[in-house]
Amino acid sequence: MSLRISTRQLAESGIATLQKRQIEMSESQEQLTSGKRVARASDDPAAAARAERALAGEMRAQTSQRAVDASRTAMSLSETAMGDALELMQQAREAMVAAGNASYSDQERRNLAEKVKAIRNQLLTVANRSDGAGSYLFGGQGASTQPFADAPGGVAYRGISGERRTEEGTDLPLTVNGDGVFMTARTGNGVYETRAGAGVTAAWIDNGQVSDPAALTGSTYTLQFSVTAGATTYAVLRDGNPTAVTAAPYTSGQDITVDGMTFRVSGTPAAGDSFTVAPSSSTLSIFDTLDRAVAQLATGGRSTAQIAQGNTDALRDIDQSMAQLQGARAVAGEMLVRIEGETSRLADQKLAAQEQRASAEDLDMTEAISKFQSRQTGYDAALKSYSMVQRLSLFDYLNA
Amino acid sequence: MSANALMSLGIRAMNANYAALQATGHNIANANTEGYSRQSVVLETNGGQFTGAGFFGKGVNVATVQRAHSEFLTREAATSKSVAAADEARSAQLTQLEKVFPLGEAGLGYAASQMFNALVDVANKPSDTSSRQVVLARAGEFASKLATAGGQIETLQRGVTEELKASVTQANMLATRVAELNQRIASATGSGQTPNDLLDQRDQAISELSAYVQVTRIDAGDGTVSLFVGGGQKLVLAGQATPLVTVPDSYDATKLQLGVNDSGSLRMLSQELLTGGSIAGLMRFQNEDLVAARNQLGQLAAAVAGSVNRQQALGLDGSQPPGSGAPLLAVGAPRVLPASGNSGGGNVSISVAEPTELQASDYELLADPSLPAGSYTLTRLSDGSTQTVSNGSVVDGMRITIGAPAPAANDRFLLQPVAMAAVSASLAMENTRGLAAASPVAATFDVDNIGTASVSALSATAVNGAAAPLTATLTFTDDVGSYSWELRDAGNALVRSGTGSWSAGNPIRSDAWTPATPAQRYDWALELNGVPRSGDVLTVGATPFPASDNGNARAMMALGEAGLVGQRTVGGTVVPGASVTDAYANMLAEIGVRVQGAELAAQQSATIADQADADLQSKVGVNLDEEAARLIQFQQSYQAAAKMLQVAQSLFDTLLQAAG
Repeated sequence: MSLRISTRQLAESGIATLQKRQIEMSESQEQLTSGKRVARASDDPAAAARAERALAGEMRAQTSQRAVDASRTAMSLSETAMGDALELMQQAREAMVAAGNASYSDQERRNLAEKVKAIRNQLLTVANRSDGAGSYLFGGQGASTQPFADAPGGVAYRGISGERRTEEGTDLPLTVNGDGVFMTARTGNGVYETRAGAGVTAAWIDNGQVSDPAALTGSTYTLQFSVTAGATTYAVLRDGNPTAVTAAPYTSGQDITVDGMTFRVSGTPAAGDSFTVAPSSSTLSIFDTLDRAVAQLATGGRSTAQIAQGNTDALRDIDQSMAQLQGARAVAGEMLVRIEGETSRLADQKLAAQEQRASAEDLDMTEAISKFQSRQTGYDAALKSYSMVQRLSLFDYLNA
Repeated sequence: MSANALMSLGIRAMNANYAALQATGHNIANANTEGYSRQSVVLETNGGQFTGAGFFGKGVNVATVQRAHSEFLTREAATSKSVAAADEARSAQLTQLEKVFPLGEAGLGYAASQMFNALVDVANKPSDTSSRQVVLARAGEFASKLATAGGQIETLQRGVTEELKASVTQANMLATRVAELNQRIASATGSGQTPNDLLDQRDQAISELSAYVQVTRIDAGDGTVSLFVGGGQKLVLAGQATPLVTVPDSYDATKLQLGVNDSGSLRMLSQELLTGGSIAGLMRFQNEDLVAARNQLGQLAAAVAGSVNRQQALGLDGSQPPGSGAPLLAVGAPRVLPASGNSGGGNVSISVAEPTELQASDYELLADPSLPAGSYTLTRLSDGSTQTVSNGSVVDGMRITIGAPAPAANDRFLLQPVAMAAVSASLAMENTRGLAAASPVAATFDVDNIGTASVSALSATAVNGAAAPLTATLTFTDDVGSYSWELRDAGNALVRSGTGSWSAGNPIRSDAWTPATPAQRYDWALELNGVPRSGDVLTVGATPFPASDNGNARAMMALGEAGLVGQRTVGGTVVPGASVTDAYANMLAEIGVRVQGAELAAQQSATIADQADADLQSKVGVNLDEEAARLIQFQQSYQAAAKMLQVAQSLFDTLLQAAG
């Protein structure tokens, strides 16, 4: 404390103090009005940076949610489409079961063929269903036009197998791999496929089953029938080479087991008839299945055995295709569950980011109001004391 | 003893007290005059007259009028005012600079991340024109925010330039005034009395000058003072002032540096030597804060634009037939500024080699004659680190090209890889079809694969325009990631083949395969999710339907969170840079800290200056109560002296009556 006080200094420091108080008040008031503690980076650099990151996090969560929404739309539309496809396949299956009725005439089967044909065309429409925004539900990684198109030799997949996915943060499917759903079911019973050779008219082979998985070889087997003196025997060839089974006696409907595979041949095979047992491949097209079913239903004048073989094959393929569809539908359903999970995760993330931003830059109202009040008191006191001190002057007393 | 003596005593006393009243009146009159020091009359006895009865006083004499003064406090007040002015000037400018980097939704970081976020809709629906339009709009917004921020920085630079010029003019005016006052004081001092009011005026002028530039004051014996600036350059010597001048920066004429014009010869005053005054604050802001802000902003602009454009070029756009994407954003090119004093016209240029490795700094290239020919010293100005470079060197993501004619010995060049990037940023694409959303390569997995592997990310890493696109088939040969690969051309003829190995977390890179030739059109990197099993087959080939592919949009969007900005390679190890958001947040925080620091310094130095001024004022200022008391005091003395005259007169009358 200095020993003297200059009057000008006194006035000036008084004015400076008043201004300082007033600035503090206006700062407090600005904060109260905006509700923000950090209006400029220099108010709290670390908090400003934290708020900046939180804002980016919030926006990122919002963005990811858009991706998730797009995926949800695509997945739920696909799931519905696959449900429709399954229903159609169920109808086709019922038609095929009906076609197995021994009392049906060729004409009745032809009618069924028409029905299956209609189903097949509907199915093609379902498979080519668009998401309503110019892209195809089953378009895979991309397709320029409808992904499934009639082509010589059956419906072809024009897209590229795989699926288009959302941005890397969410990585959810935006399309379903149409190739996988409709075109690449397992042939036969899933492990191997039985086929009647050309010209077999009086015998048929069932789908077979796996009796000993450990014994499977993955080779292609051929059953060759011969009839010698009324006794029907068969030989088994493996990849075209003779095996130990060369003249096994044949009984209609009896299990034949070859290297872990058990199947039955029924009817009366003629000499030279052959049946093939080949490993399954993932090449079964749902459209080809229906095309074949239509073709054989529409073919008149077939033997009972041929009809039986045709129905067996068609039902087997329909079942395989439906299993494939069901699997894909389950995946889509599963994906919808994941999408729900993702949605709530993103909502949490967004909320957390908002809270973080608020805690970084928002004002603690209680604290701010009490601060404002104390500053108000301070300003009031400064005004009062200033006016009182300034009023004091020796000259006043001298006048009196 | 005559009655005359008493009369004379009274008159002297009246004169003395009148003089004192006059001084008091002067004090009262100047109570509010800036720089005024209170004055007082120094009285002394007029000696005595010897008589047989001893010495009789002969009354009072006015010896002189003196001003209250403290050399030390005056100096302290000027110095602390100088420091406060420097801090205040820098702080005020920084507060302006801070406004270039707004927070939240108004900020650059938000604009950049919104640009990347907008790509989500393109990834969702690559063929949707409206979502592509949104990306272009957001990119345009980002570019215009960059340009605005860059422009604001240039505006600040222009403001600083103008203010420096005005300050220098003011400072010169004050220096001239000090010189004039020096002359008048010197001549007045010759009279034997101190010219108090002139001294006050000179102190005030020096104090005002100190607010512009800090000066060292040395009193000469003859009443004049000499002022020196910036570590010994004379500014005022007796009656002569040496003018300060602003000199264009030797590299960049839009910047000003300070010098003194000593009778025609120019002496530079480096910023480090200027310790106080608003000019020093402005210079520091210009040479440090503004440069740092400009480069940080430019670094962000160049890194983001460079990365986005590179990713664009790796993708296929929506035109027919699809082509490589054109640049999305344009930013200002790197530039090289030769020093104005260079002796030769050396051909030095720089280009961006790796946008993510650009650092927020300017560089100085020196043709150091002690180095072998073709080698140059490069100094990174942000941290002062130096290294030796030659033609073709790549330093911090910039390639230095030194052509003919080579720089002459000791010539200097300022290399600015990013300084101008932001200010001329713009959207380079107008057509939504130009956005390269599609990846040129697509991977398919064989339907019979038994492993869990799927594509996590597949993107092209290089485009070799001249080579034909090839289809790669990878067949895994065991369960731990070994695979054999084949590259076949469009006619399915084998081009080359080999083996490789995949490990989790590392992408499969086609350019790492040996043999590496012949090249294929697109080199790519494939990241897998899950684990492939022996016998699994995957194929990577040209994307058949680019219009509906989103591979490149995904890759571009992923840049939004990648460490794009300021990546470094230290000893062969890549130290990842900051993401766009982090880079902007860091920039904000850094500017915030600068502003905070400058404000704090300004507050502290202002407090110190106020205190020094208060100390000085308490010594030299006028207190009106005191002056009122003095008025009474001297009035009473004056009245007493008048009474003396009355008494002397009545004595005289008495004598006359007695004689009469």
